[in-house]
Amino acid sequence: MTSTLAATPSTVVKPFYFNTSAHLLRINRQKANTLPEFLDALRECPEGSIFQHSFRTLQEHHFIREGFSNDFAHWVLSACNEPSLAEGLASVDVREFTSVAQLRDRFIQIVENFLQHSPAAGTRIARETFYFCASDTVVIPTSFVAHTLREFAEGLRGVSVHCIHHHFIEARLRLKLMSNDFSQWLYEDLGLTESARQLNRIDIYTVTLEDVREQIIRIVERALL
Amino acid sequence: MEPQTESEVAATESQLDHSAVSPPGAPLRRERRKQPRAWETPPAPVPPPRLDDYKSIVGTADIDELRFLARELKGKTVKMVNSTAVGGGVAEMLNQLVPLLNEVEVNTRWEVITGGNSFFEVTKAFHNALQGSDYKLTPQARDIFLMHNEQNRQRMQFSEDVVVIHDPQPAGLIRGRQKSSGRWVWRCHIDLSNPNPEVWGFLHPFIEQYDAAIFSSQSFARQLAIPQYLFYPCIDPLSEKNKDLEDNFIQRVCDEFGIDRSRPIVTQVSRFDRAKDPVGVVHAFKQARKYVDCQLVLAGGGASDDPEGAAVLKEVKEAAGEDPDIIILDLPPWCALEINALQRASTLIVQKSIREGFGLTVTEALWKGKPTIAGAVGGIPNQIIHKLTGVLVHSVEGCAYQMRYLLTHPDFAEQLGQNGREHVKENFLMTTNVRRWLLLTRILLTGAA
Repeated sequence: MTSTLAATPSTVVKPFYFNTSAHLLRINRQKANTLPEFLDALRECPEGSIFQHSFRTLQEHHFIREGFSNDFAHWVLSACNEPSLAEGLASVDVREFTSVAQLRDRFIQIVENFLQHSPAAGTRIARETFYFCASDTVVIPTSFVAHTLREFAEGLRGVSVHCIHHHFIEARLRLKLMSNDFSQWLYEDLGLTESARQLNRIDIYTVTLEDVREQIIRIVERALL
Repeated sequence: MEPQTESEVAATESQLDHSAVSPPGAPLRRERRKQPRAWETPPAPVPPPRLDDYKSIVGTADIDELRFLARELKGKTVKMVNSTAVGGGVAEMLNQLVPLLNEVEVNTRWEVITGGNSFFEVTKAFHNALQGSDYKLTPQARDIFLMHNEQNRQRMQFSEDVVVIHDPQPAGLIRGRQKSSGRWVWRCHIDLSNPNPEVWGFLHPFIEQYDAAIFSSQSFARQLAIPQYLFYPCIDPLSEKNKDLEDNFIQRVCDEFGIDRSRPIVTQVSRFDRAKDPVGVVHAFKQARKYVDCQLVLAGGGASDDPEGAAVLKEVKEAAGEDPDIIILDLPPWCALEINALQRASTLIVQKSIREGFGLTVTEALWKGKPTIAGAVGGIPNQIIHKLTGVLVHSVEGCAYQMRYLLTHPDFAEQLGQNGREHVKENFLMTTNVRRWLLLTRILLTGAA
């Protein structure tokens, strides 16, 4: 990929509208007290539950740096005391998936493999029940619109972390691409190929969403120079 | 207001009920103690905050998002119905929520059902039975419940776009939807995880007629054919119990209660109730203190107007013995500022409950950035993610170990406190509650994205 547009602070391009999404938690029917029940529920639950406990939980726990990956991994460790399975589930990076169905299959495969190799683990009762939830989502506009790279940086500073999650993490499910709204705009509308690529390489699992925001801003500011 | 005479001083000291006031070897400081503000009459109510007042806490972007969310709901109407205008967590929450919804032009009315003693005796019994107590549902109790719900239904209008019925007492008002085109929601604030089957069997057909139900924890929900939403209880960061305090006020409260801020302070705030296991906290403290210097503050109420509370307080005093580092405070209900100050003065906060609803004292502790040790019961695991936003314990020994560990690992403790505060900011503040109500109204009236 090469840069096709001269990206100056005053470049006028298709504007970037900062939106955000608000989610309301719904309690689903599925619940699990053992790993086999958990596996059944993973197979049966609506896609919204897989989304909630993987993508959305990152947003709900955006302030934690110390090893919070998804609700499934956390429950397997804290309630089932199965660290190797927890590690396997925690290693699932939502950015490698552009559909919830693929993501579900990955979780199922990990639990199936574990139970095949450790059938005794399936007989133990978890310390706490896992309740499958999902979320109803409403997309909300914000007051930030970027016509230039400088306005884009200002928008990034002004929006909430929910907005960062909406455009940077959830976006791949909408786009069906291994990318995000910010990188797409930088690449397609400003021709900032390298900046777009750098954004895509930010590790969302070892930092907070505020840290992610700071890293995005730093990359954009470097492009402004 | 300081006591003027010797008898007033003595009365004050008796009320304060310090088992001890100073560390071993240090001179007693009783003579320094003044009558605390806690014993004055209840403070005058303050006007409810406005949305902009929260900007300094949650940020401008979050408040702007609420306004954007409300924009499509402008002019829509909501009615909230519960069983009491004062006292209790529901009334307290509605007092804050209703003005904020009106501020964003979602016209919200709050109405309270009426009923005689017989009705409220029945609904009190229902309330306890739904939370697991033994109860024999009689035809007479059923008739009283239905009759009063019917009287209220006939008295009230239901022309709003969304009607929200809080808790079981007015649940029978759903019959009023015949004269309403609005959407009906049942907001259940109590723990339904193990309800009395007769009472739940009686109420269940009413609940299924609603368009949605709301619970405070996943574990409180039931199998229902209608959508069930999760609304966590919340705290108001601008209330007296949670607002920021000047350090000199915190110091004054500690001085008044004989608490030494130069030494670690471990505090449990909760009424004297066996479900909160205050005796277990005393035992855990005594185990921990063998290895690390600290004081224990047990601050609560309920001993003056509740025979069981008085009995529990007596047990706590017996367990504490003559230990000079255990400070027991039986406070009246209007001591929110003092409770706030005690929490802020604390090094660690404990909520070693063995049964719990949601556990808002945990929310308060986390909001103050305090490393918190709590029993893994009720709604507490929703708030405390073990070793990330606090620590969960299951025994006296576990509690004692965590006290020692956190007091001797202040960096880890501080990180827990920071994470805990952020967790509350994201999930358990009044502004999040407003967001949830706006979202629900929007989803009910226009559907989700």
